[in-house]
Amino acid sequence: MAHQTPAVVMDNGTGFSKLGFAGNDSPSFVFPTAIATKAAQGGGGGGSGSGRPAVANKPSFLTGGAGPGGHLSMKRGTEDLDFFIGDEAIAASSGPGYGLHYPIRHGQIEDWDHMERFWSNSIFKYLRVEPEDHHFLLTEPPLNPPENRENTAEIFFESFNCAGLYIAVQAVLALAASWTSSKVQDRSLTGTVIDSGDGVTHVIPVAEGYVIGSSIKSIPIAGRDITYFVQSLLRDRGEPDSSLKTAQEIKEEYAYVCPDIVKEFAKYDRDSSRFAKHKVMQPGGRQVTVDVGYERFLAPEIFFNPEIYSSDFLTPLPVVVDNVIQSSPIDVRRGLYKNIVLSGGSTLYKDFGRRLQRDIKQLVDARIHASEVRSGGAKSGGLEVQVITHKRQRHGPWFGGSLLGQTPEFRSYCHTKAEYQEYGPSIVRRFALLGGPGGS
Amino acid sequence: MLLLDYQNVLIEAVLTERFSGAPPVSIDQTVSDFDGVTFHISTPETKSKIVVSIQIRCYEDLVRYGAEQVLNREYGSLVIAPEAGYDFSIQVDLENLPADKEARDELVRNISLMKRNAMAAPFEQAYQEHYHLKEEASKFTSEEAPQGVREGGEVKAIHYREEEAIYVKASHDRVTVIFSTIFREETDRVFGKVFIQEFVDARRRAIQNAPQVLFRNDPPLELQGVPGVKNTGTGEVGYVTFVLFPRHLTPQRMPDVISHIQTFRDYFHYHIKASKAYIHTRMRSRTKDFLQILRRARPDSEEKERKTASGRTYKAGS
Repeated sequence: MAHQTPAVVMDNGTGFSKLGFAGNDSPSFVFPTAIATKAAQGGGGGGSGSGRPAVANKPSFLTGGAGPGGHLSMKRGTEDLDFFIGDEAIAASSGPGYGLHYPIRHGQIEDWDHMERFWSNSIFKYLRVEPEDHHFLLTEPPLNPPENRENTAEIFFESFNCAGLYIAVQAVLALAASWTSSKVQDRSLTGTVIDSGDGVTHVIPVAEGYVIGSSIKSIPIAGRDITYFVQSLLRDRGEPDSSLKTAQEIKEEYAYVCPDIVKEFAKYDRDSSRFAKHKVMQPGGRQVTVDVGYERFLAPEIFFNPEIYSSDFLTPLPVVVDNVIQSSPIDVRRGLYKNIVLSGGSTLYKDFGRRLQRDIKQLVDARIHASEVRSGGAKSGGLEVQVITHKRQRHGPWFGGSLLGQTPEFRSYCHTKAEYQEYGPSIVRRFALLGGPGGS
Repeated sequence: MLLLDYQNVLIEAVLTERFSGAPPVSIDQTVSDFDGVTFHISTPETKSKIVVSIQIRCYEDLVRYGAEQVLNREYGSLVIAPEAGYDFSIQVDLENLPADKEARDELVRNISLMKRNAMAAPFEQAYQEHYHLKEEASKFTSEEAPQGVREGGEVKAIHYREEEAIYVKASHDRVTVIFSTIFREETDRVFGKVFIQEFVDARRRAIQNAPQVLFRNDPPLELQGVPGVKNTGTGEVGYVTFVLFPRHLTPQRMPDVISHIQTFRDYFHYHIKASKAYIHTRMRSRTKDFLQILRRARPDSEEKERKTASGRTYKAGS
């Protein structure tokens, strides 16, 4: 094989961007999808130091570019290069002069100006690649409007001249990532993806690599809510430190899923060694100890019994999953039950998959039993429910992208710049299915 | 954001984390850098021994100009036999690190500059040649200098990309660095030209002690007779010439000048792309303005039929 540059895999999420090269087992960079730009000076009337963040495209009224003097100076200056991304952006925004922006909201790119600069910086400063030499694999959320795809393609082909571009749906990549699990025998792209990140949890059915858009459900409970819940428990008990950061550390370090809440409470009451102590370094060098108690198993429990946390969303996750699959076409349901794949940071709790599998199984079995009774004596062959937990869950979509991006046929699936110029941006509305039937 | 870093950020990040005393883990990452350079960080034997390998397209060229000596000088005892498929490898033993933090940071920095150091060899050689020639030349007046001294050294070609190369030539009063650049895209070529023009003008306008920059579409005289240089005549290939004067050639300035000039191509392309991004920003905001005008220009709704809650219709305004 002649020397080939590895494909670049970029998974830009609402909270964090995962960047890296195909073939690696973890992303090279994980940093917040944030950009800090120089705040515009003052605007029209006073209040120049009011600390209001810069408006992205400041309304330049009808006079347009040539109007106020500031614009002329912008023409020659380098203000457009004065920005930071990722962790540096967070650091810069705490100082004076910079405003912080998150160009992606709810998984979809909202601010293309910022996103373009974010990409340019992540390519040149962090990944250090010449986009003309590399193929790119980007991700998009399910139900991303095709116009967004076109905009993305425009930026990647027109600005960066990238060699080739492939845009994949995150859920499909998460399915591909699950192929590393020993439980998966056939590398099919049919399954239900439970993607729980920081802001929102999605349940996405995928059949043969295509997302069944009409059946997607989302749950307004995700990582951030668990953190808030832990924090509220700490506050209720009057712990010496109940900051959001502490709550998050406790959540990540101690939380697990229990099979039965009531029994778990009893176990804790019998055996006090289950209570943990968490040391917190407070700013100023003081160290305090926080007791960690029932929240160890109560925190992830809000997925299964949302009523302990929220009063407006009351459907447990297993029921949502079951409903999603029941609303999908009947011929794929068996495959969807058999391959429920977890992805995202909030699915990493110990035994999360096992509990989910048990609960869904119970729902399914109860329904089968009921219909057996109704049919008067007919016997069902049963239905296999399997929840797949694997090691790459945290950066599932990224890892799936890395897996597919290193396959030799990946390049033939990409659209190249020549094709883009031939057909125009609408070419990216369709991509051949990577890793699908006939693929690897 | 104006300049690009010279070091590889990822290698720096990985090593800093490893050196900070975190529990050893196995690493296996392929990392890319500009100009088709590939790094491979791995822990093949034990988790505490990190091997960093580099693969450069033009390694043969570099070796010819003394890259091995430079790398051996920089990494000394760390050098090991190159990993299969790579050109140069070093190994760091986590249990055998320098004790104080500053030395460790220095080591991290040095390793992350591996590409820069490898590419620096021909430049360093050119510098040495220049010092040598300068000494020689000082013995003669310009008219009677013998052939070799007046002409300067041979042209060193580094084919660092498939179709592009850097040529370095030392002579007694300057070092000439020529980049051949290729633009596939018409737009890029235009941007590139404007950009280079700025470089050429900068010297005239304000910055007197900048190196002289020349840009032309046919091979400069220095490159005549160098194999591999051909005049395509299509204007696709551009030649950017930097003339480094003695003030850039002092031994103190050497490392900086070499770092800067190496990143020239990447810097150039980065800024072409940044300019495009900027123009796109302005195009978007202008489109927005126009849309706003269009929306305002919509005629007031003429009188139209309205409906009451019970479904009866009536003419508004009558």
